[in-house]
Amino acid sequence: MGIEIGSVKLSMDELATRVAQEFAGELTNVSVQEPDTIVARLERSELRQVARRLHDLAEIAYDSLNWIAAVDYRTHLESVYHLYSYATNTYLELHVEVPRAKAAVETVCDIWPAADWHEREAWDLMGIRYEGHPDLRRILLKDDWIGHPLRKDYVDLAENHPHV
Amino acid sequence: MSDEFVTTVPDAALELALSRIASSTAAGEGSDMQGLRLDEVVVNMGPQHPSTHGVLRLVVTLDGEMVKDVIPVIGYLHRCKEKLAEKRTYYQYIPIPDRTEYVAGMNCEWGYVMTVEKLAGIRPTRRAEVIRVIMAELNRIASHLVAVGTFTADLAPLGTAMVFYMFRDREQILDLLESASGARMMFNYFRFGGVRYDLPDGWVEKCREFLDGFPKMVQEYESLVETNAIFLQRCLGKGVISQQDVVDYAITGPNARASGVAHDLRRTRPYSVYPELDFDLCLGQHGDVYDRYKVRIEEMKQSRAIILQCLDMLPKGPVQVGSLKPPYVITPPPGAVYTAQENPRGEYGTYIVSDGSRYPYRLKYRDPCFINLQIFPKLLSGNKIADAVAISGSMDLVLGGIDR
Repeated sequence: MGIEIGSVKLSMDELATRVAQEFAGELTNVSVQEPDTIVARLERSELRQVARRLHDLAEIAYDSLNWIAAVDYRTHLESVYHLYSYATNTYLELHVEVPRAKAAVETVCDIWPAADWHEREAWDLMGIRYEGHPDLRRILLKDDWIGHPLRKDYVDLAENHPHV
Repeated sequence: MSDEFVTTVPDAALELALSRIASSTAAGEGSDMQGLRLDEVVVNMGPQHPSTHGVLRLVVTLDGEMVKDVIPVIGYLHRCKEKLAEKRTYYQYIPIPDRTEYVAGMNCEWGYVMTVEKLAGIRPTRRAEVIRVIMAELNRIASHLVAVGTFTADLAPLGTAMVFYMFRDREQILDLLESASGARMMFNYFRFGGVRYDLPDGWVEKCREFLDGFPKMVQEYESLVETNAIFLQRCLGKGVISQQDVVDYAITGPNARASGVAHDLRRTRPYSVYPELDFDLCLGQHGDVYDRYKVRIEEMKQSRAIILQCLDMLPKGPVQVGSLKPPYVITPPPGAVYTAQENPRGEYGTYIVSDGSRYPYRLKYRDPCFINLQIFPKLLSGNKIADAVAISGSMDLVLGGIDR
């Protein structure tokens, strides 16, 4: 797939190389998933400053946050950020590992306003706390629900839900 | 009634609305003892309000007629569809996506099936691909008819006249979909590598017959509303979504295109046989309520053109890859894949993590309505309450998808 930036034409691999160089040492395991997605891993301590720079990149800015998914891999949790670049019409998928013991990661909802509800959903269903989120309430489940159902070790107990 | 019958179900949204009023009020100025301003009222719109098209609840703070603050509350239709996926095989799960955006079941099923096909490396047959496009575009027309019909009912000047015209014509589409799949709305029609049934005898002719009459129907809709002064006054310049908002809030679908953002997955991330088809993107200029209405009307015309091209190119051959029966058990290799298709409401994506077993390890929907709804507090604040109803109608929400 060809990407045009001004008069320069890039292939998907070249774009991935450019992103990897721009964030050398921060983004690891950078690879291309056909046809148009760059997949990379990221340390959670670096999430915010990388997010800010990705949002403000010249020419290839990832200016739109498509969605956030939380995945429970049993050994650890993962917060997946799927970004879209209107300039290059490509996607960037960031995988941030979150330890189960302290399931918390910093919020990005001031960088991409779209992150707001996704972070609430991930907190609600997977129990990842997004630190600095202005309004981290449950979103799909009731306000007094106990536990996070999409965790693989979740056990549903009737006594947890007095108002059912 | 004694106190023991009074339940104290916590209501975080209501408390939030009240606390926001309290914190914005200067001490003592026009406020009562709890710090509430005397001229501000908190109104609960929904979850059973007819204009919410389902079970959306909006906690609205009103100053007279003006909306000052909106807190959307969702989850009333939450049926754990993502958790359900982890307990079902890939094949057993096919009927569930129908129930997310239930007025566009074909499109939603396609989104799920396409993701699994990419994960497992299955390629559907050519005839199945073309049939899929026909079904999805028919469903897009049906879905837009519901969207525009209920939206005009929200606006009141026409009463419910338009709804009945549109639902009457939508019934013809549902008949077509039913004769192909066996169901009106919950189709369960797509299979990995194809579709469940081939088109029945005479289906193509019936479909052409409907499409031939369709331009006249659209003309009727347009003549009903676009010359109506009240309709125009209530639509023009109301609820403007800027292009920056589209980017910031990741708004997709007709709502984004009404703001002039040329983003359509059928073009920007083409799938199936869309690259071979000739159709225009319908773009608005102002991003107001009227443009969102008009974009949907124009998209129905484009969908008609797409279906006609597909009927012309419909190849002969099997509708299921491999044997006649679809693959009941599939075990995709470990990995994660996200694909999306252009739903009538925007980018409907499915992210599936596979651990190599017969069950999806994790399934996540990217639902366009869930994301389009996020802009509501910003979009509705500062409007009159009656306009807020019009604006939310023009956003075309389906709660089955929002709550999942």
